[in-house]
Amino acid sequence: MTILYLLVPLALLLAGAAVYGFYWSVRDGQYEDTETPAIRMLLDD
Amino acid sequence: MALVVDQTTDTQCVHCGLPAPVPSDAEQAAFCCIGCEVAHSALTHAGFDATYYALRDTTTVRPSASAAPSDALLAELDADAFLERHAQRNADGSATLDLYLDGVHCAACVWLVERLPFVMPGVASARLDLPRARLRVVWYPEHVRLSAIAQWLAQFGYAAHPKRMAAQDARSHAERSLLIRTGVCWALAGNVMLLAFAFYSGLDSSTEASLTAAARWVSLALATISVTYGGQVFIRKAWASVRLAWAVRSWRSLHMDLPIALGILVGYGHSTWATVTGQGEVWFDSIAVLIAALLTARWLHLRSRRLAGEASDRLLALIPTSAQRIATDGSIEVVDVEALAVGDTVLVAAGAVVPADGIVTDGTSTLDKSVLTGESAPEAVAPGQAVAAGVLNHSAPLRLCVTAVGEATQVGRLLAWVRDNDAAPDHTTLADRLGGVFVGAVLLLALVTAAIWWVIDPSVIATHVVALLVITCPCALGMATPLVMAVSTAQAARRGLFIKHDAVFQRLATIDTLVLDKTGTLTEGRMRLVDWAGDAEALDLAAVLETQSEHPIAVALVEARRPTRTHQPMSYTAEAGAGLHGWVDDHHVVIGQPDWVATFAALSDAQQRQLDAWALHGFTPVAVAVDGQVRACCGFGDPLRADAPATLDRFRQDGYALHLCSGDDSRVVAQVGERLGLPADHAHGRITPDGKRAFVCQLQHDGQHVLMLGDGVNDAAALQAAEVGVAVHGSTTASLVAADVFLTGSGVEALPPLFDGARRTRAVIRRSLTLSLGYNVLGAAAAMAGLVTPLVAAVAMPISSLAVVAFALTQRSFRFTSTVSP
Repeated sequence: MTILYLLVPLALLLAGAAVYGFYWSVRDGQYEDTETPAIRMLLDD
Repeated sequence: MALVVDQTTDTQCVHCGLPAPVPSDAEQAAFCCIGCEVAHSALTHAGFDATYYALRDTTTVRPSASAAPSDALLAELDADAFLERHAQRNADGSATLDLYLDGVHCAACVWLVERLPFVMPGVASARLDLPRARLRVVWYPEHVRLSAIAQWLAQFGYAAHPKRMAAQDARSHAERSLLIRTGVCWALAGNVMLLAFAFYSGLDSSTEASLTAAARWVSLALATISVTYGGQVFIRKAWASVRLAWAVRSWRSLHMDLPIALGILVGYGHSTWATVTGQGEVWFDSIAVLIAALLTARWLHLRSRRLAGEASDRLLALIPTSAQRIATDGSIEVVDVEALAVGDTVLVAAGAVVPADGIVTDGTSTLDKSVLTGESAPEAVAPGQAVAAGVLNHSAPLRLCVTAVGEATQVGRLLAWVRDNDAAPDHTTLADRLGGVFVGAVLLLALVTAAIWWVIDPSVIATHVVALLVITCPCALGMATPLVMAVSTAQAARRGLFIKHDAVFQRLATIDTLVLDKTGTLTEGRMRLVDWAGDAEALDLAAVLETQSEHPIAVALVEARRPTRTHQPMSYTAEAGAGLHGWVDDHHVVIGQPDWVATFAALSDAQQRQLDAWALHGFTPVAVAVDGQVRACCGFGDPLRADAPATLDRFRQDGYALHLCSGDDSRVVAQVGERLGLPADHAHGRITPDGKRAFVCQLQHDGQHVLMLGDGVNDAAALQAAEVGVAVHGSTTASLVAADVFLTGSGVEALPPLFDGARRTRAVIRRSLTLSLGYNVLGAAAAMAGLVTPLVAAVAMPISSLAVVAFALTQRSFRFTSTVSP
């Protein structure tokens, strides 16, 4: 079970990366408009 | 007399799909109006027609016919001061600006608008936010002018208005920061729960002492972040409510957040103590999940209100940001509208929007007040009369002496009121009324529990009190109402019903009287040629002449007759408030008020009787004379909306009292009331804005609960006075008004879905509250009896919350097809 001493901090690091990614996506405004992108992907340029 | 609305058949407009007159030439495409024809030809010309019509949603809204930007707006968009103030300059020399676009509604619009960078060099990007009708454009000001972009958009029927930054950005910022807080708290909760699984699956301090201690300390660290970062939202509110309750000496002011904060703090304190001493249970996982779940409910709540709030900002966007000030030496300078002072003289060009409230000092013109009042007919103004900011100056330049600017103007006061209303706390919801009682009850029970176990076994007091606080945690109770309402508000918004306050759901239950404004809610809100008699050729000649005018009657005639371009008006003269006369080909054509036309050519008795009959029915009579002979008579009016009679019948059958209340002419209102089958004393015309408010108050004084449906700023006071004020989007205006509910649809037919949806929402709330209260009562009894350990309480608590969340998310309050019979 001593492996947990390594795995738990590792899991926390991963969680930290995910939180940073989330922070970035919120700041980027990706949750502001959740309808138009769904339409936009149907349009071929 | 048979009143046929217009001569339409089942031919559809090529552009918008609305019924359209059959074109004279079978080869030609059919259009319902000039706006559609212009948009169609612009699309074809640009080579966009194939993709646009393939993507277009056929149940679309008619494009605004008057999308063409005024010169004043274009000049404003190009002013350096405007860019300085409203656009954001980027490092590479480009600028970013948000514009509101009127008329965007479907995938085809997204495609078309986002073509902008490909067709216009100098535009770096264009992103359209469809639900908010907002375009974010990035462009290089030295390569392309903003006015050119606005003109490009206008040719397809999209009218652009620059967006003011402040209020909306604050709202958006608050929502983003709460979302980040929620996300971080869920990440923390997830990790604390993973560690807690170790305890649940048998990690024992007696066999794995150091591992257990490590897991507890890590949980403590994570939970500490969760409590200080996420939990402070509740702890601060709880503390503020305690101080308020102390100040006013009333425990009723205690907020629902108090037991939540208390649960968090007691649980956290107890678990921390257990971690430090190495003895006893820890509940970090349930605390972390509790915080994350509550933050989620709050975020949903905030988000659901955003769309409604943003809609009100669009009204602000209609006021220009710059004004033409006339200096004492007579020179004209363009200044920022906020630099205006009371007493300044400003020039308002024809086609421009009035920038401030003022008194006309020079010039006569007609004003289109539809943005503010929803009333469609233009009004003549002369020196000495007051003019409000936001109205459109139609025909001739005006000089105004400014009497109020910015916040002090009529529109400014209205918007300030909307903002205050947004910010005001809402004490009327059921959950908030329950909150104070609930808090007191839980605290009392905790004391009783402590007292009972003091007698029985003092060593387990803490365990049982914490179990009680955790199991009675009003998480489900607190979440039930806001969550159900948030979900149902979001569903409603998707259907075009923007509900600004949760209290609306409760108040709709008590409504027994409907007060309806006539223009735009029961009628189409724009002039149509209702009936005509006489010579069709004369009417066509008049229509050719009327293409030169922007008067609603002119627009209606042009739309009805669709003059071909073979005739050209040679010259014309407009007589304010009377009509037009001029030359078309070799004919002298006069069109206008019968009395005025009679000064050019004599009316026969039959024609006079016909015109009088129309006037009696509330229509505007118009005579047409060609070469000194009256050749045609027409009646113009604002026809009833197709769904209005059926909708009102339904309300009448359900026992609602109905009243018509309009600023329009009494005869017109009486006539509309008659066609809708209302008793004569329920149709009130010529009511001033204050009169409407007084009328609503009088009804309330008589013990009735009033819903007011209106579409203009002149209804604002009445909308506020009514228990529920409902504003509709007028078909000719982009007006949004301060009200509890804002409907993007334009007619009364949107009301039944609102009533039905609110009734279903209340049922869901009642179910959720019953469930969570039942759970709390059972849980509290069990905890006091010492049957529940804190661990069981911590498991039961989220389960009850999940049940409530499931109730809220699976409701279908506003997801149903229209219940109005076709």
